[in-house]
Amino acid sequence: MERMIKDRNILDKFCTDFCNIVERHCKYIIVSGFLAIASGRTRGTEDIDMIIEKISLEKFKEMFTDLSTEGFVCMQSNSPEEIYDYLQDKTSVRFTRRDEELPEMEVKFSKDLLDEYQLKNRVKLKLTGLDVWFSNVNINIAFKEEYLKSPKDMEDSRHLRIVYADLIGEEEINKIKQLIKRFRL
Amino acid sequence: MDQVERWALFVKKNPAKWKKIHTSFINSIFDKHKQFKERILETPGGKEKLAKLYNIKNREGYEWLR
Repeated sequence: MERMIKDRNILDKFCTDFCNIVERHCKYIIVSGFLAIASGRTRGTEDIDMIIEKISLEKFKEMFTDLSTEGFVCMQSNSPEEIYDYLQDKTSVRFTRRDEELPEMEVKFSKDLLDEYQLKNRVKLKLTGLDVWFSNVNINIAFKEEYLKSPKDMEDSRHLRIVYADLIGEEEINKIKQLIKRFRL
Repeated sequence: MDQVERWALFVKKNPAKWKKIHTSFINSIFDKHKQFKERILETPGGKEKLAKLYNIKNREGYEWLR
């Protein structure tokens, strides 16, 4: 698929720049709305959701230093220790480019078997034209239809089911829906 | 067929065309936000309103908040 760099939008560029830094330090996935948007869904968003594997404070500090050096700031704090505490408490932390409040990357630690499964089965999606890791399409559809369920999420799911018709696996979607009922509902 | 499905089918059938349209749409949202930011910063207490809107606690990270 031919795609020129100038076709990348503000969210694409922000996401790619952020992921390139995180990639040096830990395993990550982009989940939920931005997967649908990067796959062509025409709707707005202010944030991109990222799950990262649990890492030590030392490793986190190294990643935080890299993010700071390359122009990203955390909206909650400038202290890596404090930010790490948020993550440990299963609270998400939000990063933006310095001096810009939008867009933001909402980062969480992996917190259960479902997140581990998503990290283990992460994929790159050619249609997006982005060299970043996404949670796989079936898992996203399962979360949107079984857990999130808002009109926006149901529309995201319909969009994903059409553009990725060749990747859809109802068996995996149903398996994830069962895991969601067990671990999240 | 509704708008979501029509557009999804367009994306699927036109891999070389959809991105340009989509990029204009996404970028226009951020352009509108930039215009809104300029206007709200000119209002009384504009900085505080914006900091509240985006729940910014780390004021050092944002020059317009210092």
